[in-house]
Amino acid sequence: MNKFGDQEILDLVNHPSTREKGFKQLVVSHQERVYHLIRRMVIIHEDADDLTQNTFIKAFKYIHKFEGQSSLFTWLYRIATNEALSFLEKKKKRFFLPIEDYNETLANYLDHGILLTGNEIQQKLQKALLTLPDKQRLVFHLKYQEDLPYQEISEITKTSVGSLKASYHHAVKKIEQYLGED
Amino acid sequence: MKQLPKIKDFKAPEGYFEHLPDQIMARRSSRPVIPIWSRYAAAAMVILSIGIWVLTQPEATTDPYLALDSEVNLYIESQYWTAEDILSLTDDSGIILEEIIEEETVFGNEQWIDEPLF
Repeated sequence: MNKFGDQEILDLVNHPSTREKGFKQLVVSHQERVYHLIRRMVIIHEDADDLTQNTFIKAFKYIHKFEGQSSLFTWLYRIATNEALSFLEKKKKRFFLPIEDYNETLANYLDHGILLTGNEIQQKLQKALLTLPDKQRLVFHLKYQEDLPYQEISEITKTSVGSLKASYHHAVKKIEQYLGED
Repeated sequence: MKQLPKIKDFKAPEGYFEHLPDQIMARRSSRPVIPIWSRYAAAAMVILSIGIWVLTQPEATTDPYLALDSEVNLYIESQYWTAEDILSLTDDSGIILEEIIEEETVFGNEQWIDEPLF
């Protein structure tokens, strides 16, 4: 199926007769990036699958309020990052487990997951990322991995560019420190 | 970080993205319809719970830590203590600086998570 642009999708969504088609196009056009962003944050596929679906269901629900001040991609990323961060927050609070326990679960998944790619350095990098606070990890992914400009990350997270730069700088320092310890 | 490779994306199961749009569309059309009466029942439960909670609260007592906090705030607000003074009183100023950055980022508090997105 071809990927549609923002305006084409919005035109489809705005007409009752083509709304369903518009929703489906929204998913087709953005599913891979949304899934991978969420997956990087929650690591486990089943969780990423659930949160990706939630992201699009929420997008369908509120798309009539989308004012076009940002791209659909930025808007979807904002919903997706909220979904992922809320999920991690709840997961870490559940059963009163300390944060380290859940991070350990994720680190074990990295060791034994069957759908993981990469060599030793990749695994080490992934584990280094798990040592960061979730929000810092998110900023790191958006900047280093996705190479998004700070201005766009600022729109996604509604955070000032200055704070994002500080957060990214801290994340990089911690990762370098972690990798240097081995 | 220049010498580090990009982190490879996790693999999704075979054929995952081919089926995902249909799965999401199916989930959307099978959303449960909440009857109107249950919304009123839920609202009544919330009001009742708040009422019970308010009536069963013990009288407020003075917390010594709160009193200490206001004293510290007084020193800061009157500019008797500077930020450097506060940092010098701690064992690890790095942690406090990180907390400040965390708080100052909008998503450093939970409100960002619950804030309406639309």
